[in-house]
Amino acid sequence: MNTTPRLLNRIVLAVVGILLLAAGAAGLVLLTLPAVAVWWGGAAPRVAQAIGDVRTATTLEGQADTWLWIALAAVLLVLIVLLVLWIAAQGRGRTGLFASVDARFPAPHGRHVGPPAGGSAGGRSSGMGSRGVQSEDGGTLGSVTITAAAAEQALKAALLERSELVGASVSTWQVRGVPGLWVRVFPRKGAAPYAVAAEVSRLVEALDRVTGYRTPVLISISSGTRVRWTRADRVS
Amino acid sequence: MSPTPLDRSAPASTARLVRRELHASRAVPSVLTAILLIIVCLVLLFEAALKALGDNPFLVDVEAVAAWIGALPSGVPASLLGTGSFLLLVLGVLLLLLALLPGRRARYTIPNERAAVVVDAEVVASSLARRARAEAGVAPEQVLVTVGRSSVTVQIRPTSGIPVDAEAVRAAVADDLRRSSVEPEPRITVVVAESGVIGQ
Repeated sequence: MNTTPRLLNRIVLAVVGILLLAAGAAGLVLLTLPAVAVWWGGAAPRVAQAIGDVRTATTLEGQADTWLWIALAAVLLVLIVLLVLWIAAQGRGRTGLFASVDARFPAPHGRHVGPPAGGSAGGRSSGMGSRGVQSEDGGTLGSVTITAAAAEQALKAALLERSELVGASVSTWQVRGVPGLWVRVFPRKGAAPYAVAAEVSRLVEALDRVTGYRTPVLISISSGTRVRWTRADRVS
Repeated sequence: MSPTPLDRSAPASTARLVRRELHASRAVPSVLTAILLIIVCLVLLFEAALKALGDNPFLVDVEAVAAWIGALPSGVPASLLGTGSFLLLVLGVLLLLLALLPGRRARYTIPNERAAVVVDAEVVASSLARRARAEAGVAPEQVLVTVGRSSVTVQIRPTSGIPVDAEAVRAAVADDLRRSSVEPEPRITVVVAESGVIGQ
């Protein structure tokens, strides 16, 4: 459900893996093949000579050593920042906003919605400048937002009433730019997954009608430690 | 607002959600790798800064390390070089496999019109065990269900003197699986133990 950069993870892991693999293979080859060791014995001084030449060429007047050290430090600093950003990108994407309504949506006509969220969301229109749409019941201009907590708690309360569920948790995440709900339910041991899925999706559809949004929803039917320690039936 | 709920969930995004849930994200190996690389980079950064300022090295003398690499394979015991290289090799292969393998999780998806539905294999197994137990008329402890990616194995230890109809159990389990229509559809094997247990 989160926006973890999965492709990036795999690419970087592959690159680091190949580098480590190459280093290990080089060490083993040096150790086991005398011919390679002889070649390296000849090549290493030439490499050292080349590095020494570069160092003297890049040493400025009156300086003890090459400025390449500073360049190296700068490159390493950038690399460290990129790595920290990479770590920070893992598991992101949680959002606190379920929906926000503005002038694009005129007042509803004989629409039946649930009382709190739907009623207020339908009756207002936005104050984006003076050309905002005036709602039919003469309501004032404004914008309405439904926070993620409202949708989450409504759904969670409904889920926890079901006797076949031991626990449930609902959270809101960005899915391709729109808020989506992640519903995790922990059914009682032995509960049929299809029945649980049908039940949860029915509750989700009820939430759709209340909020007026058909959001992307992921239902995870999982098993946790709490499930393992509960009885299959409430009365056994 | 429109009379019907405003639709902002596309089938493509539902399919993407399912695909992501069925495969590992590689977040943990990534974070561990990043932390190790950051430590290495910090040490090198520190040494490079000391070099630039003309100070003595602190932890690692970069020039000495370079000279040491140039002098390989001499200058270090063969056993140490061999083990070190081998460890690097194994670590490299491990990271490469993490990058390339699909990393499938023990989960199934159930088709649903409204949402992306993902079920842990354990939940499927416990549901099948319950169904098999009801069909065979035995206690919960006498049934063991193993759910793999493409196969389901039901092991039953019958109560002594009361035979178990393996075919009926298979039909019941198949019915349960069909109703869930988990994908991919697994193959069912029912094993009834030769020896029974004392009834409970």
